[in-house]
Amino acid sequence: MSTNAAKNLFIYGSLLCFIVLVVLTIDTMGKLDQRAPEITEKVDAGKKVWHKYDCIGCHTILGNGSYFAPDMTKTTERKPKTYLIKFLIDPRSIKPDSAMPKLGITEKEADDLIEFLVWISKVDTNGWPPKPILAVAATSRAASPGQMIFQKYDCSACHQIQGLGGAAGPELTHAGSKQPDAEWHVRHLKDPASTVKNSAMPDFAHLSNEELNALAEYLVTLK
Amino acid sequence: MRYQSHKIALNFYTAAVLLFLVQVAVGIIAALQFIWPDFFILNFNTIRTLHINALVVWLLLGMMGATYYVVTEESETELWSIPLAQFQFWATVLAVGAVVVGYIVMGLNPQANMEVFGTRLLNEGREYIEAPRWADILIVVSVLLFLFNSLMTVLKTKKFTAVQGVLLGGLTFLALMYIPGMFYTKSMVKDQFWWWWVVHLWVEGSWELIAAALLAFMLHKLLGADVKVLAKWMYIETGLVLFTGILGLGHHYYWIGTPEYWLWVGGIFSSLEPIPLLVMVWDAFRTTRETRGVVQNKVGLYYTVAHAIFNFVGAGLWGVVHTIPQVNKWTHGTQITTAHGHLAFYGAYVLLILSMMYVTLPLIRGAKDFNQSRGYQAFWWMTISMVFIVITITGAGMVQAYLERLLGLDYVTVKADYNLWFWIFRAIFGVGFLIGAAIIVKDYFTIGKEKAAAVSGAAERA
Repeated sequence: MSTNAAKNLFIYGSLLCFIVLVVLTIDTMGKLDQRAPEITEKVDAGKKVWHKYDCIGCHTILGNGSYFAPDMTKTTERKPKTYLIKFLIDPRSIKPDSAMPKLGITEKEADDLIEFLVWISKVDTNGWPPKPILAVAATSRAASPGQMIFQKYDCSACHQIQGLGGAAGPELTHAGSKQPDAEWHVRHLKDPASTVKNSAMPDFAHLSNEELNALAEYLVTLK
Repeated sequence: MRYQSHKIALNFYTAAVLLFLVQVAVGIIAALQFIWPDFFILNFNTIRTLHINALVVWLLLGMMGATYYVVTEESETELWSIPLAQFQFWATVLAVGAVVVGYIVMGLNPQANMEVFGTRLLNEGREYIEAPRWADILIVVSVLLFLFNSLMTVLKTKKFTAVQGVLLGGLTFLALMYIPGMFYTKSMVKDQFWWWWVVHLWVEGSWELIAAALLAFMLHKLLGADVKVLAKWMYIETGLVLFTGILGLGHHYYWIGTPEYWLWVGGIFSSLEPIPLLVMVWDAFRTTRETRGVVQNKVGLYYTVAHAIFNFVGAGLWGVVHTIPQVNKWTHGTQITTAHGHLAFYGAYVLLILSMMYVTLPLIRGAKDFNQSRGYQAFWWMTISMVFIVITITGAGMVQAYLERLLGLDYVTVKADYNLWFWIFRAIFGVGFLIGAAIIVKDYFTIGKEKAAAVSGAAERA
């Protein structure tokens, strides 16, 4: 190959690739709005809060960002809004060992930010992040009625048992040793703040008595 | 010094090496914050911003210095305007200084990052391109002044060489690709779509063009290799870089809300991205082998060949292992990406700019002979440290992908408990890298300034 031929291949080949990229970009731009919910004023205000506090300096979103703190794409799917608002305003009052500092986020900003995160959780991301296959396999096994309720209400989004589950709320591996009174657990589930001061956990008063009792009985077995 | 314009190149190099040292020191703080989040007065987000922005800016300063050197050498004339180049240098340093002060103020008081004319005053809160809009405009003006001065220099003697063409073409492409990052979109998906145009088409497009041009220039300077053969291979390399790299952009569009066809486009083209980098390695070895025995500046050649090798390993191999969508689905957003980023930047660009310094500095300062042993020492301190940094982060990424993505363990648990020792080792090797960087800076200020006796004594001992 002569130098001139190589030069022409470089110039025209690159131009062709760039033109293909522009065509694909135009096509993509036309399709993006159908792959995500409508962007309201509140969602946009939340996105501006995201930028104001440089959240991406620690977190990832859609998998892109800083890898220092959890990905935010699906956070609102499993974490209750009441917990998230309290956490954003003063993280260490909810979780004393949290790496996240108090940034001065107001209640309105926290509310907008969560609205933005709800929006992002509904974007069609071609199946990312994938469901943890081994955890899914583990939860499909036969379980006690209380365990089934635990799974049904996704308690593991915030609580760990034997290392599996989220770290937003207290670990429950030894919940039965710490609090062996099943009635206390029922009261806690119905109104968390009545038993634990400043609790960020949402109430589960909408569960039937049968469900609450089964769940409490399961929790006291964790020793 | 053959041309007075080379003083300008030196100014850029000096700012670059000092910022390099800052970047590495700040990186160690960031590494320690993985172990103790409250270790420093500034939070991790500010420290990471400083770490990466310092990297990008010192590499750009190095590229500008190298370009001012190359265009004067290739065109065999002084710069079109030395005062303009001096003004551009100081204006850039002042603008960068102002941006850094802004980051620190925002880090100490996040509320200071207020909205002004629809944009953030101190930090845009967008990864890598955190610089606020006013700084974006200053950066564009600086790059335009730099390009204008370089192009006018080429036009002075009209010696249109292949190296100048690709180098200035790459720099123009770089300037143009900054624009997609300069507007606000309400959709985070569109935000990230355009943001990747900037980030990907810089580091896997225009920067690689600059790397290929500088590689050809250095091989010619060091070995006296045939310009025509070098030019032919440079065109083949850059052609392949853009053929695979432009549509390889698709590997960033797998999971951000973009249509599914990007899985195919990104998967196919990005899998091919290591090929041009392998050709560059072959090019460096072939040229060296064919002209063996006439090399004066051995340390310069050492860095040049190492740049080609680590460009291939870091950007090529460490990238291709997780670029296929079926793998990337599990590794996306994990420390695997951090490992790739560290080795790719070290190999592709840090070693590139350091090579240019080692090749051109003795020529600028008129040092026919210089103590090369410090250059080797620095190289091994940095390279061994970086390899172990990358191994520790790759290990952390593998543990994270398995425990978090496959088992479903919580992110914080994996980071704080299971990966703790990886962070500790990463910080220790970071200190090793800092020692290497410090030797580089000392060498930079010493080459061509040591007394002849000291040089020959050191050369004998080496």
